[in-house]
Amino acid sequence: MEEILNPHVFFVFLGIPVTKTVVSTWVVMAFLVLLSFLLTRKMRPVPTRLQNVLELFVEAILHLVEEMSPGNGKRFLPLVGTLALFIGTSDVAGLVPWLKSPTSDFNTTLALALVVFFAVPFYGITIKGVRNYFRSYLSPSPILAPFHVISEITRTVSLALRLFGNIMGEEIIIAILFLLSPLFLPLPMMLFSIFTGIIQAYIFTVLSVVYLSAAVESSGH
Amino acid sequence: MQGEILFLCVTVFTAGFSIALGVMFPAIGQGKACSQALESIARQPEAAGPISRTLFVGLAMLESLAIYVLVVSFILLFANPLLRYVFK
Repeated sequence: MEEILNPHVFFVFLGIPVTKTVVSTWVVMAFLVLLSFLLTRKMRPVPTRLQNVLELFVEAILHLVEEMSPGNGKRFLPLVGTLALFIGTSDVAGLVPWLKSPTSDFNTTLALALVVFFAVPFYGITIKGVRNYFRSYLSPSPILAPFHVISEITRTVSLALRLFGNIMGEEIIIAILFLLSPLFLPLPMMLFSIFTGIIQAYIFTVLSVVYLSAAVESSGH
Repeated sequence: MQGEILFLCVTVFTAGFSIALGVMFPAIGQGKACSQALESIARQPEAAGPISRTLFVGLAMLESLAIYVLVVSFILLFANPLLRYVFK
C-alpha cells in the first residue's frame, strides 16, 4: 500500500532517483513512438488497414477540437492530440504486468497540467497579441484580475489532482481486491479501469481545449 | 500511550467519515446533472453531442470535489504529517 503513494526507486542516476513511474513513462513513450513510426512508414493516399486506425484517431481529435474552438483545430491538434494519446495509453498501461500507470503518480499529472498552464498564455499571445491577451485579464473590471490569476492556478491543480485521484484510486481498489482474492475478484474492476482511464483522458483533453479556446477567443465583451 | 491511540482512532474515523460525506454530496450533484442531461437529450435528440460533452465537463468538475476528499483522506491514512509529533 505504501508503494502506491510513494513509488519505489528503481535506480539513482547522477543523484536523481528514477522511480518505477518514470520507467513506465519511457515504456509508454517507446510504445507510442514505435507504433506511430511503424504505421506511418509507408503512407498512401488510400490508407491501408493499420494506417486507417491512426487516421481515425487524428480525425476524431481534430473533429473534437474543431467543434469546440472553430478554426483552431489544426493549431491545437499537436498539443491536444499528444495529451490525449499519452494519457489514454498510460492510464491503460497500469494493466500491463510490471508496469505502473504513469498517471497514478502526482508528479506526472502535475507536469501534464503545467504544460496546459503554460500553453494557455502561449497560444493566447500568439493569436491575440500581448496587449489583447493581458487586457482579457482586466475584462469585466480590473478588480477581478487577481481572481483570474487564482482561477488559472486552481484549475491547473484540479486538472492534475483529478487525473491522479481517479487513476490512483482505481489502482488502490484493484490492489485491495487483489489482497482479498487474487484470481477473479479484481477482473471486473480492471475492466472498469479501462473505461475510467479512457474517460479521464477524454476529460483532460476536453478541459484543456476549453481552457485553450477561452484564451484565444476574440473577446466579445 | 492513551493519547496516541486516541489520535489514531480520530484519524481513522475522520478519514472514513470525510469520504462518506464527501462522496454523498457530489453524488447528489452528479445525479441531478445526469438526469437533467438525459431529459434534455430525450426532448431534443439532435443536440445529444454538445449536451453530452458539456455533461462530461460538468461531471469532471463535480468529480474533482470528491477527489479532493479522497486525497485528504489518503494523506490522513498513509502520509499523515502529524504522526511525527505524536509518535516521537
